[in-house]
Amino acid sequence: MRAANALARRSLVARPLRTVLTVLGIALGTGVLVAGLVLNAGLDAAVERSARDLLGRADLRVNALEEQGLSVGSVGTIATTPGVAAAAPVLVRRTYPLPDPALPSASGPVTVSGVDPARDVAIHDRTLAAGRLLAVGDDLVALVSTRFADEDGLRVGSVLTLLGDPASGPLDLEVIGILAASPGDPDPAGRSVVVPLTVAGRLFATDRVSAVDVVVEPGVEPGTVIAELERRLDLEPYTISTPAGIVAALDAATIEIRVAIALVAAVALFGGAFLIFNTLSMTVAERVRDVGLLRAAGMTRRQVILMVLFSAIHLGTAGIALGVLAGVALSAGAVLILAGGAGVRLDELVVEPATLVLGAVLGFAVTAAAAVEPALRASGISPVAALGLRLDQGAVLRARLRWLLLVFAVVGIVGLALWPGAAAGRNGLLRPLAVFALLLGIALVTPFVAGPLARLVGLVAAPFLRVEERLTRGSLVRDRSRTALTVGSLAVALAVIVALGGVAGSARRATTAWLAEVVPGDLLLTSIRPVGSDEPVAAELAAVPGVVGVSPIGRFSVALEGSRADAAAVVGADLLAADRLQLAEGDRPTALAALDAGGAVIVPRSLADRSGLQTGSTLALLSGTGPVELRVVAIAERTIPGDGGEALLVGWRDAARLGVLGADAFAVRFDPAMEEAARPSVEETARSFALEPTSLGGAAGAIGASIDRRAALFAALAAVALVVAALGIVNTLTMNVLERIRELAVLRATGLTSAQVRRLVVLEAAILGIVGAILGVATGLLAGVALVGLGGGSGAVFEPPWAVAGLALGGGVVLAVLASIYPARLASRLEIVGSLGRD
Amino acid sequence: MPPILEARDVARSYRMGGTTVEAVRGVSLAVEPGEFVALMGPSGSGKSTLLHLLGGLDRPTAGEVDLDGEVVSRLGDDAATKLRRSKTGFVFQFFNLVPILSVRENVALPFIIAGRDPNGRAESAAIEEVLAAVDLAGKERHRPDELSAGEQQRVALARALVHRPALLLADEPTGNLDYATGTEILDMLWRLCAERGQTVVLVTHDAKAAAYADRVLVLRDGAVLDEITLGRREDHAAGALIVRLAALGL
Repeated sequence: MRAANALARRSLVARPLRTVLTVLGIALGTGVLVAGLVLNAGLDAAVERSARDLLGRADLRVNALEEQGLSVGSVGTIATTPGVAAAAPVLVRRTYPLPDPALPSASGPVTVSGVDPARDVAIHDRTLAAGRLLAVGDDLVALVSTRFADEDGLRVGSVLTLLGDPASGPLDLEVIGILAASPGDPDPAGRSVVVPLTVAGRLFATDRVSAVDVVVEPGVEPGTVIAELERRLDLEPYTISTPAGIVAALDAATIEIRVAIALVAAVALFGGAFLIFNTLSMTVAERVRDVGLLRAAGMTRRQVILMVLFSAIHLGTAGIALGVLAGVALSAGAVLILAGGAGVRLDELVVEPATLVLGAVLGFAVTAAAAVEPALRASGISPVAALGLRLDQGAVLRARLRWLLLVFAVVGIVGLALWPGAAAGRNGLLRPLAVFALLLGIALVTPFVAGPLARLVGLVAAPFLRVEERLTRGSLVRDRSRTALTVGSLAVALAVIVALGGVAGSARRATTAWLAEVVPGDLLLTSIRPVGSDEPVAAELAAVPGVVGVSPIGRFSVALEGSRADAAAVVGADLLAADRLQLAEGDRPTALAALDAGGAVIVPRSLADRSGLQTGSTLALLSGTGPVELRVVAIAERTIPGDGGEALLVGWRDAARLGVLGADAFAVRFDPAMEEAARPSVEETARSFALEPTSLGGAAGAIGASIDRRAALFAALAAVALVVAALGIVNTLTMNVLERIRELAVLRATGLTSAQVRRLVVLEAAILGIVGAILGVATGLLAGVALVGLGGGSGAVFEPPWAVAGLALGGGVVLAVLASIYPARLASRLEIVGSLGRD
Repeated sequence: MPPILEARDVARSYRMGGTTVEAVRGVSLAVEPGEFVALMGPSGSGKSTLLHLLGGLDRPTAGEVDLDGEVVSRLGDDAATKLRRSKTGFVFQFFNLVPILSVRENVALPFIIAGRDPNGRAESAAIEEVLAAVDLAGKERHRPDELSAGEQQRVALARALVHRPALLLADEPTGNLDYATGTEILDMLWRLCAERGQTVVLVTHDAKAAAYADRVLVLRDGAVLDEITLGRREDHAAGALIVRLAALGL
């Protein structure tokens, strides 16, 4: 064993550049894998933390479904339900602080949480950066988050003025404490205020609450309490969350990102595995005669296998050690890119030893899988065959295809190990499996199509580089399986980039088209509080010259067949006038008029398909005043986006019956000829009512920016996989040069110039790059179709990302050509006389 | 008629670690057009190094090599390559065929490299003629690994001759062949010389192979030890040469 190890070490030291390239490839592959694992662990921790921060020590949370909240009666019922040890009501609303004249710009909105200090302390651990916590009997005081304090220059003792309900006016509050930064902050921008519940009630002119956190008595099952609450609570609709339910919901929110990370990690790992395989394969091919002599001298098959495996272990150890470090650095970068864009607040890196060990073990598993075939091939070399040096190309191809399947299987298992569990439950495995099948398909098909494709590509170069093209063509088909693996790893990496680019682009376009199709106006004015119909907002906006219409939109939740569904209140006549909303079923004018008349609902197609609803069906929605029955008057292709899907559309009459307090947004329609002049006036009027103007393009842009950030992360990770593929090309070309060094010397002796030899290798790389890029882009487009098509319900239609595809095509070729620089120099500088005598 | 190949005080030394090895020391020679010259000597005598210098594969550290009116030793890499392409043909001990190319493509390689269409009328005729000359007609589509060792060496010979080079350089062309096949190749070389007027410089350590030459230059320790003129003979008898070599202690 010692001899095998010593020989393995010497073989690696003898080829320092190849060894370094391979170690680098393994490091990058492992790096992306470790980054995926660390990010997944970070997301898990963030999900757990968010759920914990939201519920504290509470076992349940009863949420109001209606905007107006849970009544005092409901809160009392919850508190007196058997099995409830403590019930802490909380009122959550968004509002604006009164701008401080000293600040350079107007301050952004904040989220106010009203809590009962006596009960809150039993449920939430609030950590202070300064000051003190709320106490029983406190009145006009507030705790503020660190970020809000920093942004608005607040300190303990400062006075904070919050705008409230128009009826109650602003309230001055004394800041008594600064809350330490918390990842579970309920405000998306980390601008939070916690006040006594009584103060919040006064500020927002309500005696209702948004939710009640419940601690169950020791020994009592939360399920028993839930059953009892469901029996007793009948005043208004509600939902009950458990910590497990919240974790599941947050898991679902992070699923897309986890899936993409797992996919990219698997691809990078495949590239790394290919490098290991290629390097060991190269070593075995180069040393056929040595191995034959060693076998003749008495080395056993087992010792030969050990020798190759030791090479893999040395390469793997160095690569994986570097890869673990690279993975941590990559994940730190990814956290910066993702920040709040992952579905939960991903503020910190969770690097646990177990994660790093898992990454290293998985890296070793793939390294070992990659080493198996070369090791077995080396052990099969007989001394007699070694002297003949003749390779059976068919056998090599079959062996490599077997190896490919083995590595894909290992990478697939690694992918499944990484796969987020929450994805499996909702048909989530179908998409990755379809993509995986496509990638496997392309890897298996490549050996058969790479040759003809290379020939076709070569024909383009032939008129300019006839000699080089002819020799390159032969060289690429000399070892079809190696060419195919090189092209395959490049194609797979490019396919992932194109597929993810296509998915991001489709999502972005779908968002833009969606908003333009369903919002009855050109400008959207959003409010952080419901604007009542008795307020003069709509009238004043409509009075601005150039404004043709102002349409209120209210977004809310309804209880539909026992679960929460998104709904929106709209004005049917405005949708008709603005020519918005495409119907799949139903007469448009009649259906929109029916919405305004009341008793009608328009259902999005995605929901109708899921629940079997059709025109004429009746929907029973729960409200505080009893069930509201609505007749389905139409099925729309797409409706207004909600939090969890598309919203049911109802008229304002029915919205009032469902507890909707007012509009969350106004869609403003301009006279096209006067829009430019009218827009500034409308925006000024909107700001005087604390409304935020957003153009449809801007709204889509905000969503698109989030999509782009994720796409950028995936592209960055996929680019690492691409670099691994490029290292594979360097390896393959170097191997091609080294294997035919005497042949190149003969060509040089016969009159091929060193420039021609250089061009020969570069052309070989360019053809590999073009073929890989063509296959990669084609596969990426198919994978994009699969990802978008199997996504369902989002309304996204796959449109080929031509720009990304073009970049991938060009990038793949450029990368391949760059990868040829070293092998080309090696080939062009070979010493003719010395090389002629080499075996 | 001026000599087609001339070497004047050619030397070639190599640095090996701390020492300098003089592989060729002040060799001067001239080869007339159509002449068959053999360079003979024991292993390490510098005969292959001298052949590489004569063919422009290597550059001398001193002295000059003049090939068909051009001073090869003064040319840069590209110019030397182009001179090799047009004026020389090489045959090596290990055949050195390009395995991915067919017999016809291997033979056509000098045309392909020179950018000439191997399917052109003149080129096709040249390829067919040379293939017939080496008895390989009908095997044009074969790959090198489908041929015997003798056939592979004949392909190498055809490749070296197809563009009618001024000088054919053969480095131990029979070293990797059995006696009968080696004799076949030597007969072929001699016929080319006698019938087509091809100038040949042959490197060998085998007296029987050297006996095909018109003139034999015997090398030892990098210098010409003796020059033996045999003249053009049909029988290639090696007896007289062996006696002379024995007198030289070889």
